[in-house]
Amino acid sequence: MKKITLIFSLLLSFNLLAETYFCTKDLEVLPIQQNGRVKPLYVHASETIKNLTGKSKVENLSATEAFCLLSLNGMGLPSNLNLQARIDHVDLMKFLELKDGEHFINYEALLQKEDSIKMEMRSSMGSGKNDSYQKAINKLFSNINAYKDIKAGTNWMLASKVNNTIDWLPLITFLTEEKVIAQKKITPSDPFLPVLLKSKSDYDSVNGTKYEVELLYAKAELAGWSLTLTILALASLVLSRKFYITLSLAGLSALVQLVLVSMRVYISGRAPITNMYETVLFSGFGSLVLSLVLGHFKKENLYVYMGLAYNVCTLMMLNFANGMLTATISPLVPVLRDNFWLSTHVTTVILSYGALALSWIMANTVLYRKTWGNLSKHDEILFSEIIYTTLKWGTTLLAAGVILGGVWADYSWGRFWGWDPKETWSLIVLCVYMIILHGRYTSWIKSDRFITITAGAFMSVMMAWFGVNYILATGLHSYGFSEGGAIFLGSFFLLQIIFLIVTNKKEVKAPQALAD
Amino acid sequence: MNRLNHINWDKVGRFLGSLKFAIVVISLFTLGMILGTFLESYYGTDFANRIVYKTFPFMLIQFGMFVSIIFAAVLRLPPKKRLYGFYVIHSGLIIIGLGSLITYIAGVDGQISLAPNEPNRQVILSKDILKITYPSEGKQVSTVLPYSAFAKDMDESYENIKIKQFIPFSEGKFVWADPINKYSPSTPTQSSKYHFKNAFAEQDFLLTVHPEAGNDFQSSLSMGPLNITYYPENIANCFEADTSSGIIIWNTQTAECFTPEQKKYPVKTTTSKNKFLVVPTEEGLFTFFPEISPYPMDLKFQANENSKLRAFSKKLFEDKPNLFLFGKKLAFFSKEDKKWHVNKIELNGGPADLPWMGAQISLLDHQEKLVPFNIPTPTIPIQKNGSLIKGDLKAVRLEILGNEYWVSNYNPLSLSISGKKIVFEVAKETLTLPFELALTEFKMDKDPGTSSPASYESFVKLFDNGISTNHHVFMNNPLKKSGYTFYQASYAQDSQGQYSSTLSVNVDQGRFLKYLGSLMLVFGAIWHFNLQNTKKSKVIT
Repeated sequence: MKKITLIFSLLLSFNLLAETYFCTKDLEVLPIQQNGRVKPLYVHASETIKNLTGKSKVENLSATEAFCLLSLNGMGLPSNLNLQARIDHVDLMKFLELKDGEHFINYEALLQKEDSIKMEMRSSMGSGKNDSYQKAINKLFSNINAYKDIKAGTNWMLASKVNNTIDWLPLITFLTEEKVIAQKKITPSDPFLPVLLKSKSDYDSVNGTKYEVELLYAKAELAGWSLTLTILALASLVLSRKFYITLSLAGLSALVQLVLVSMRVYISGRAPITNMYETVLFSGFGSLVLSLVLGHFKKENLYVYMGLAYNVCTLMMLNFANGMLTATISPLVPVLRDNFWLSTHVTTVILSYGALALSWIMANTVLYRKTWGNLSKHDEILFSEIIYTTLKWGTTLLAAGVILGGVWADYSWGRFWGWDPKETWSLIVLCVYMIILHGRYTSWIKSDRFITITAGAFMSVMMAWFGVNYILATGLHSYGFSEGGAIFLGSFFLLQIIFLIVTNKKEVKAPQALAD
Repeated sequence: MNRLNHINWDKVGRFLGSLKFAIVVISLFTLGMILGTFLESYYGTDFANRIVYKTFPFMLIQFGMFVSIIFAAVLRLPPKKRLYGFYVIHSGLIIIGLGSLITYIAGVDGQISLAPNEPNRQVILSKDILKITYPSEGKQVSTVLPYSAFAKDMDESYENIKIKQFIPFSEGKFVWADPINKYSPSTPTQSSKYHFKNAFAEQDFLLTVHPEAGNDFQSSLSMGPLNITYYPENIANCFEADTSSGIIIWNTQTAECFTPEQKKYPVKTTTSKNKFLVVPTEEGLFTFFPEISPYPMDLKFQANENSKLRAFSKKLFEDKPNLFLFGKKLAFFSKEDKKWHVNKIELNGGPADLPWMGAQISLLDHQEKLVPFNIPTPTIPIQKNGSLIKGDLKAVRLEILGNEYWVSNYNPLSLSISGKKIVFEVAKETLTLPFELALTEFKMDKDPGTSSPASYESFVKLFDNGISTNHHVFMNNPLKKSGYTFYQASYAQDSQGQYSSTLSVNVDQGRFLKYLGSLMLVFGAIWHFNLQNTKKSKVIT
């Protein structure tokens, strides 16, 4: 206790900003080891505060400042932070006695109720209450524990050099009186910050500053920039006749996304396809590049339209569907590490999904224009040809991807095929598109039906891509489970089916079967 | 024979090679797979395999695809240049199919579990079997159980054993069963069912000391910090005796008990302050250290776990919450008056108070002779978070000399028929390797600062014809030996924190064909679409 009061009195004697002490943005660049990785404090604090409160700031304090202030509680320095947990589950709101429509509750208030929450969590487990309530209360409980951990000053791990290796110490053991007093002799005006910043120079001298790239990455908001560029490109395609504007904007967006992907690869040190966020990112980027290449060689601007339209969809998800896709970079389970076949398999499959997404965009566009716009027969034949081209690319890539998946399974487990839901669904998608490609030569799938079926077939891709994780969630591949996806997927299926029904009702006179 | 001549084989061939037939079989295959994935997610992998993937109709559909692929290619002969890609794709698919067929017929896919320094050569395969062992003759027979999703009647017999039914997924339904063997009146055979309640929890539980009770019924239980132990009713008398040593000695076979004070056996203390006493028995003098072990110790300080006599000191159970139940009596140590209390508890007579935070216990059922038993009843399994939470019990019903018996994967059955001991087990089929493996070291790296594994590796010693070699097996670095390939699959940790490693074992003779076919398929697809493109551009120019 003596030690703590001394540090406290030291702080007051230095006439620092009483409210934030030494918690400034200078700390953002400090390395911290948490959840199995070393990252800048900014990244950890942002993720933690976001996880606890659903927001990126606490009142007018940045996440780093709030994280630092909260941690200082562990040193005996009180702070008046008001961290609010967001409660969305109706039953949980009732249990916490929140007023109608009130979604927020202070963490200090939750600490008071900790015992009753714990009991409720235990009793809800065997009671047959629904899964979502259990998940919500489990999440709340783990958040309360995380809050306690931070408040105790034990969540903030700082690097300390001992014999040229790095030891990680929690703030309460790292920030000792001796260090502060020694530093006071050098920098009398502010002895605290230099002590903390010393952990960075310690870490850097052993492991270098590679981790700092993540600070740049986290602050650059590249996903937001590429979304803006892609939307501008799409707008210019509609509004302006000068195609070179569209092309340069699309190229710029692709470039920004390339930087985004590359930075993730550099930071995580692995192929950018190991969780939902990265697969969505990669498929959007990949199909934009594919559409630019196809458009160039086939001399057809429509490919660029398809690529941009799909790119908007993926970037929207990356920017706004945070509940479903988390941008957090976290360590992988052992089977997914250092695996050439896994990387090639997933890359190929994701690229194929991107190519099939282009066909989906085009098919829906054709249906829309047939129903509500005007579409000449010449255009329809042209569009069908374009859809067919993307289908060919998509299915060839998918076939290769499914096989590479078998090669990976054989390489890692010694078996090509195990009826795992993810691999089974990728085969289902392949079969669905095989039916379309074969059916196109029969009277069963005529040209108008071809377009409708192609638009609908993408639902199988969505099921394989998201549905297996969000709806089926079993088997070897369920590492990337996250929530909110089931609602997203359900709405997607519903909208697509309604669209197909509406566009199909207004049956246009069937044009002649396409010559193949 | 004559009728076959009337069939228009040309027409049949054209039908089997037609696009429409192809579409129908691909569609059926797709529907089957969709059904399979959903069934798997609700009912588990094993159920999905038994009801879809590995059933005859699903295999037939796959055969249909095979036929369609072959006929489609044959019909389009002699070779046309524009179809070169198509021929390559279809040949690739046929080769993949052949490779898979070879794997299906001759391949091995199993697991071997390696505990530290224990050589093993048994690979566990996927088929369920009933194993019958005659320990006295050193004889073992086994029969493969049917691969079905639901309960299936069987009609197999071996000597006087009739196998009547196999239930692949079942759950136990509680009954009181008549004992199989006869017991002398002094043998403890009692069982009781209690209801426990405190401010936090409520629970029913059954404890038994019946020798025939299966693994799903125990004589002790932990509920959070509270430990509950069930003893024959007789032992309660010794708990009542207020002795200075606090030591109780009892016979597990007759449930007789006494305290050293009653028999005037002196309790002494060793130089290291451990209490001990010497008890004269028919088998000689037994030395007990009741505060260290319930078993008598020999001169080398080794516990004799075969002894009928056990000793323990009540004092060990005074610090932490410990409840002793004896059927219609119970005992606990109260910290308030620092005394052991032995109270009565009536059957259906209302709850008895316990000294821990308002806890209460009541006796719901009590049987002196009957055996608590869970009769396997067929059910549909339920999977949650990757493991079965219901229906995990695989059971076989037997009929021996007019009596009905159950064996399950959790409860082996041990019978003595006309003086011969027979052990029945429901187990997995095993394969004996021609060499032996032992785990010398298991290494696990964790993600820095966490307890989640980053990688795990097994160091394995292989014994073959007296020669031993060392190998290092880890993810993507399997061990290959005489056609077998061993992959690092998973690991387990026992209660002492010791790791054992699980390796998956494979023999795949179809591997080369599958790789070849795959290559042909992918290159064929590229070729096919490329040919189409050049053809089209020619038309345009």
